[in-house]
Amino acid sequence: MEIKIKHNGISGLIVNAGGRLDLDSAVEYGTKIKDAIEDSDEPIKELVLDFGEISFISSFGLKIILELYKQMNGQNGVLKLRNVSEQIKNSFKMVGFNQFLIFE
Amino acid sequence: MFKTIKSKILLIIVLILAILLVAFSCYAVVFRAKTKQLMLQNYSFSVNSFVHQINDKITRLEDNSKDLALIGSLFYRTDRSIPLTDKAITKIFENYDNSLGGGIWFEPYIVDKSKKRMCRYIYRNNDGVLTFDDNFEGDEYDYHNQGWYKQIISQVTKEDDTAWSLPYYEKQGSDTMMITVGTAIFYDDKIVGISTVDWELSAIFKDISEMKPIEKTFSLYDGKNKIKDSFAVLADKEHDYIIVSNDPFLDNEALIGKSLKNIPWYNENLKNITYITYHNKKYVPFVKNIKNGMVLIICVPKTEMFRYIDQFGLYMLFTLFVIGLIIPILLYIKLNKYIINPINKLMDIANKISRGEDVKIKIEKPEEFAKLAATYDSMTNNIKSITKEREKINSELSIAKSIQESSLPNVFPPFPENPEFDIFASMEPAKEVGGDFYDFYFIDEKHFMFLIADVSGKGVPAALFMMTVKTLINNVSQMGYSHKKLFEVINKKVCQTNKQGFFVTLLAGIFNTETGDISFINCGHNQPLIKRQNGLYEYMNLNSNIVLGAFDDAKFEIFETKLNVGDVVFTYTDGITEAINERGDLFGEERLANCLNKNSGLDNIKEIAQSVKNEIKEFTQSTPQSDDITMLIFKYQTENLNKTPASDSRTFRQPADLENYKSFYTWLHEVSKDWDLNDDISNKLDMCAEEIFANITFYAYDGNSGYVETTITKIDDEVVLQFEDRGVEYNPLEKPDPDITAPPEDRPLGGLGIFMVKQMADIVNYERKDDKNILRIVFKI
Repeated sequence: MEIKIKHNGISGLIVNAGGRLDLDSAVEYGTKIKDAIEDSDEPIKELVLDFGEISFISSFGLKIILELYKQMNGQNGVLKLRNVSEQIKNSFKMVGFNQFLIFE
Repeated sequence: MFKTIKSKILLIIVLILAILLVAFSCYAVVFRAKTKQLMLQNYSFSVNSFVHQINDKITRLEDNSKDLALIGSLFYRTDRSIPLTDKAITKIFENYDNSLGGGIWFEPYIVDKSKKRMCRYIYRNNDGVLTFDDNFEGDEYDYHNQGWYKQIISQVTKEDDTAWSLPYYEKQGSDTMMITVGTAIFYDDKIVGISTVDWELSAIFKDISEMKPIEKTFSLYDGKNKIKDSFAVLADKEHDYIIVSNDPFLDNEALIGKSLKNIPWYNENLKNITYITYHNKKYVPFVKNIKNGMVLIICVPKTEMFRYIDQFGLYMLFTLFVIGLIIPILLYIKLNKYIINPINKLMDIANKISRGEDVKIKIEKPEEFAKLAATYDSMTNNIKSITKEREKINSELSIAKSIQESSLPNVFPPFPENPEFDIFASMEPAKEVGGDFYDFYFIDEKHFMFLIADVSGKGVPAALFMMTVKTLINNVSQMGYSHKKLFEVINKKVCQTNKQGFFVTLLAGIFNTETGDISFINCGHNQPLIKRQNGLYEYMNLNSNIVLGAFDDAKFEIFETKLNVGDVVFTYTDGITEAINERGDLFGEERLANCLNKNSGLDNIKEIAQSVKNEIKEFTQSTPQSDDITMLIFKYQTENLNKTPASDSRTFRQPADLENYKSFYTWLHEVSKDWDLNDDISNKLDMCAEEIFANITFYAYDGNSGYVETTITKIDDEVVLQFEDRGVEYNPLEKPDPDITAPPEDRPLGGLGIFMVKQMADIVNYERKDDKNILRIVFKI
């Protein structure tokens, strides 16, 4: 899975990734983003995950999203999901994540 | 022609001798010519000196004649005392004994008016005593009318003039052939008479005959003639008459006094001619001029003259010839004794050794061959011990070979309880143990795998490696890997055991006995042939992967197709296509395809194999087989009657390993696609399958290896996803559901997956059966 992380201003990050977010790739996805948050000089206040190219999310993907949400929440930041397909939104809905996730 | 050492050496010797002979011959020819020239000069000198002697004689004769003329003149002028005159005459002849006689003769009536003839003649009688003959004054002889008198008196014109008569025969007095020189007796410028000195012709001949220019060469004269047919002529060239000749072909007496023209061989230019041909014989003429226009010609036969030189030349030639014959013969004999015979002996021994006879070699001379023989001896001993060792190895090899052969399945048909397919394989090994092998077995309940392979190299190492590879493939293929993955694992393991740099070409087919699906994999092997039902055999065009054992991270592509009932797959090794006939032609792929198609009517695959073998044998004839000839034939005979009707089911068995996840979901996607499932169901299947697959790989075997078998079945409007493992007993459904309404900070990270499965599936149930965990998830379409 190819993961691109860009800074958006001083305290913002935009993540672009494509393909399946599953057993095979979820851990890598999460680790890279967490590393980027920690490596940032300024504390990250806004994390945007672009789901435009994500075709599939499994329970492992959901778990990572929850982890990222918790981390951002812990540092008074915001997690936003962009370009999420209906099918993936359904998956979030199934586990009740729609209650707290912000979809752009 | 000159292939042996013997003939080559002989040739060289003969060549050298020939060159020497030619060189010597050239020298001899030049030498001979020079010698001949010298001889001719020598003869010439001898003749010259002889001519000098004659000249001297003639001078003496003429001087005597002049002295006599002086005596005659004194007699005439003084008191005419006969006794005094006689005394003076005798004195002259006493001092010179080469003339026969001589005297003084007066003109008629000049001394005495009453006496017509007045002469004093002295001669040597038979006892050699000088005697005066008075008979010449008589009437009978009448010297004034004799030829010699007339001839001389007509020639002399002044005092001291001498002249020569023609040769004549004198009956009076000496009774012999003679020639006379005379001088005029003058008184008051008038000739009163002449003096004469007689020269006997036989004396000239005697002189000539005694001439010996060189010892043992020649002397001229009849009777005592040592050189056959040599002859001479003395002539007066000026007056053109022959004085004397002894030509054996002419009447010499008749010639005397005649012109030189009467001699057939004579001509003016004789002096310049090297030789004349006369009566078919060659003569060398020596022409010498003498005083008073006289000439002496001596003719010597050329052959006789150079006899000694020619004889010497012949002796020389003969000697050379003998030497030229003896040297090669001697060399030949010695060569045979010291070189050829020992070589032949060694050859003989070598032949005996090669036939396995026990031979002791005995050569003592020459030293080189003795050493060679000793080397031979030690070589023979070495060969013997090597042979013994080789025999031992050979017997071990034949055991190895039989072990190897018996390791291949050889009972046919091997699976009589599976009528859906038939398989036949055979291997005819080449002389040594080889690297070909084949194998076949079920890798799970439905999948039957067959393979044919060729290990690079020959001999024991290749055979050992082949056994390893065969066992390895058998073990790994039972572990439930996907078809593609299976060969990657096999390759990795082959690489690990391959320290010698071997590699393996392999062709395998994995046949689904229920569906007729077949997966082919070709790792650098010969392309198999396939016959579709009633068609012809055709070469398949499988993607050729890299050979096994080359790189441990190699990826492999498989080719999937479906067999129909009646289809036949023919696989083989390069021992077939590379079989060679006497002319060095290869059997080749075309011939193989033609052979199979010629016999395409055969149903029994064993007979098909036999027909190919026969064709190869007919092609190669007596040419020995250089490589293993191996073939494996697979035929789909009839559909599986046991499979579940009206339903479609796929099973995928893999080691329970996270790294197999990708091949797992790829398989799952392919099934979804094959069955045309909608996106919703596909997505659900995907999510659920991942969850269960992950659970089993993470927890079921607790770090030990094991498998996970996934079966997906479609029956009418249901899709059933079933997971099976032999891990620890675990029912995931017992896990409590997470609270999905709690604030996000309080939500646990685990347990979401199985909750989702329950949410998405229409039915989920768990069963523990035969030490297996079986989880069934049902989706309604």
